[in-house]
Amino acid sequence: MNRRNFLSLGLGLGAAAIMLPSTLSAVNFRETKKSAFEGPKSHTINDAMTELFGTSTTIEKNVKLKAPDIAENGAVVPLQVSSKLAGKTVAIFQDANPESLVAVFTVPANGIIDYKLRIKMAKTGTVTAVVQDGDTLFSSSKMVKVTAGGCGG
Amino acid sequence: MAQKSRIKAKEKKGITTVKAMAKHEMLSYDEAKRKKVEANFITSIIAKVDEEIVYEASTSQFLSKDPFVQFKFKGENKGKMLTFTWVDFKGNTQTDKKKIK
Repeated sequence: MNRRNFLSLGLGLGAAAIMLPSTLSAVNFRETKKSAFEGPKSHTINDAMTELFGTSTTIEKNVKLKAPDIAENGAVVPLQVSSKLAGKTVAIFQDANPESLVAVFTVPANGIIDYKLRIKMAKTGTVTAVVQDGDTLFSSSKMVKVTAGGCGG
Repeated sequence: MAQKSRIKAKEKKGITTVKAMAKHEMLSYDEAKRKKVEANFITSIIAKVDEEIVYEASTSQFLSKDPFVQFKFKGENKGKMLTFTWVDFKGNTQTDKKKIK
């Protein structure tokens, strides 16, 4: 893979250098859904969700999102997303940072939707977790108050 | 050479829980601008057992520094090796292995 090409695209697609076999459901979302991560459609949760999934309509059930009510330190906000759905894709959005898509998980065949991660939030905002099951999006949102901003203050 | 990730992998009753912490500055664009360096953050994390992917995430600049993640998957995996790999914006990559207890 010619690195110069990637650099000239300015998107750092070095991840593609890892040969992700297409037989597994290994989808590198940052490449295939760039527009959800960066660019004009990445700012609001609805736009980013539409870029990623094709729609921003979700049903608010079947997804559990655990997040603190108040985050003392916006640089480390612990989240837990879980769901009993046989979803294939899970995405986390929040509206406190310039780009709303935080992470996308591809759920493998043996996967269980029960993820923990720590994110940064620049200010108080709402975190939304979305699970895609077939053609339907299920979601859960939680507002997190941030007392000390997370993107370096 | 990037720093190693810290991994804990345990299986209980057919479900393996993995806790992993990658060591990475995770500089978002704003932070990098302030420090006057290039932004660099993990963009993708993949974990495998034998050659099968058990966890896969595409991530943004908004994961915390030294990102901690936890995930679970089914299967009789005790004794197998889990490989945990991350790739960042600049193309750096780090892979670590841990035996599932």
